[in-house]
Amino acid sequence: MALLEVDNLVKDFGGLRANHKISFRLAPDELLGLIGPNGAGKTTLFNCIAGKYPVTSGRIVFDGDDITPLNAHEVARRGIARTFQVYTAAGDLTVRENVMVGCFMRTPSRRAAREQADAILADLNLSAAASSFVSELPVAAQKKVTMATALGTRPKLLLLDEVAAGLNPGEIEDIMASIRHIHHQMGVAVILIEHVMELVMRTSDRLIVLDSGRKIAEGLPADIARNEQVIKAYLGERYVQGHGRERS
Amino acid sequence: MEALRHAFDFSDQRRLDLVIAGLLALVMLIFPLLPVSAFALATMIQFFIFSLYGMGWNTIGGYGGQVDLGKAQYVGIGAYTTAVLLIRWDIPFWFSMPVGVLLAVTWSFIIGYPLFRLKGHYFAIATIATSLVLKDIFEVWDFLGAARGLEISPIKYRPPDFLRLIFREDIYYYYVIFMFFLVGILYLNWFRKSRLGYQLRAIKDNEDMARSLGINVHWSKIKTYAIATAYVSVVGSFHACYIKVIEPEDTMSLDISILIALMAMLGGAGSLWGPIIGAGILIPLKSYLKEWLGGMAGLAGIDLILYAVIIMVISAKEPRGVWGIVERVRRRKQT
Repeated sequence: MALLEVDNLVKDFGGLRANHKISFRLAPDELLGLIGPNGAGKTTLFNCIAGKYPVTSGRIVFDGDDITPLNAHEVARRGIARTFQVYTAAGDLTVRENVMVGCFMRTPSRRAAREQADAILADLNLSAAASSFVSELPVAAQKKVTMATALGTRPKLLLLDEVAAGLNPGEIEDIMASIRHIHHQMGVAVILIEHVMELVMRTSDRLIVLDSGRKIAEGLPADIARNEQVIKAYLGERYVQGHGRERS
Repeated sequence: MEALRHAFDFSDQRRLDLVIAGLLALVMLIFPLLPVSAFALATMIQFFIFSLYGMGWNTIGGYGGQVDLGKAQYVGIGAYTTAVLLIRWDIPFWFSMPVGVLLAVTWSFIIGYPLFRLKGHYFAIATIATSLVLKDIFEVWDFLGAARGLEISPIKYRPPDFLRLIFREDIYYYYVIFMFFLVGILYLNWFRKSRLGYQLRAIKDNEDMARSLGINVHWSKIKTYAIATAYVSVVGSFHACYIKVIEPEDTMSLDISILIALMAMLGGAGSLWGPIIGAGILIPLKSYLKEWLGGMAGLAGIDLILYAVIIMVISAKEPRGVWGIVERVRRRKQT
């Protein structure tokens, strides 16, 4: 059974159709990449799934339940966690306390929340920063803190919105390792919005490509990289020339 | 049990701060026994009263970042409940106080539900409006003595009456409110480390983020608003027994609401010690300014100008108040 099922999802903002009849399925053990040019409707799709925006029409089924009408906090409690594109974590809380806020979704006990938070921080190699304020950390670590906070809610599905944006190659490697760890070791399904092609192509099991609010392609990373329409809309010739040889 | 342990757990505070707090608490404990004037004692009682108001405000306003300028309405509900129940049915303070809390919290839910659909300045203005409307209602409500207010006549009772909280000497009131003050600190200490406390700080920072972590933002705000209300209502009830004459203009005016918010804002909104520091600065200043300028006609409203200046300086220079300055200096010393 699919963990997430999006069925003919439409989202309008006034006269603008940001998502046009998008349908896809996600298996419980899958890591799905969501790519497409700026303004393609990727983040809108996340916001619809996560309950931030009410959808115009269509249906979202998660874990067998219709979650289409639910609010953001209700969706979170069902087991969908997310990060935001513009980095945000509470400024006057330490790293550990930030993650604890996530953990508090499942437990009212401060001690339990603290223990869970410490375990997650250890898992993501963030233990050393536990007592720092988030604003004192480098951007890469801040992004990992948002992932850790989201994981605090013990999700079945994690939506990651451009976690690698603005990072250097070394940091991207590190965040890729974290994402793989979350997916394989923690057993969390992941949908990844990403512009860093290296990361998406190498990490994702499957890719979905959006352009102007429509799904234009879906398939294995290798196939997507060769898809004419995708190349035209997004990847560009250069990417294919650079990577075509090693893939074939 | 765990909650109680957390209330007494100040281990995340600096040792120096705790030593200072302990010493000050000791001074407060013996203060009435020292050769101090009645005026000084009355000022200290006012300090405790406004510290507690400020602590209540600090939950929703400081930790939650929702600037509430309508707390006076809950002072009124607490004070009037206690006064009415005592005068009409001879119901003592310790029974009327929880009734007042119940009424105040119920009212806070009724107006909190629509109010928290608003944000920022709109929310602040709406709180002012509700408070003023309630005050206007009280001013024409005969049952509550309308604009004349109510008077608790101490002659009817035999002070010291601990059940009704009717005393002749201020020293009794001093120790009662001091006890509330300590309980207020312990509760706030527990609150800031509770699930709701953490969630509130996340809400203050970013509501979308908070929602994505399963937090029902609207409901969390309403709950915290009720906690803030309970603080204020308890002290309002005390205020009625202490002052004995309550009228809408005195207990529920906009000045009171602003003063309550100022305690925490000046001392440090969103910090444990902030409201106490704020009250420690503002209340003596207010009392002695009034005493000093009392004779000079035309300068009666000067304290309002003072508040305005304080608000402007805080918003421009250090939104986290005196405590914010202390922390900034400390951090600079560390690095």
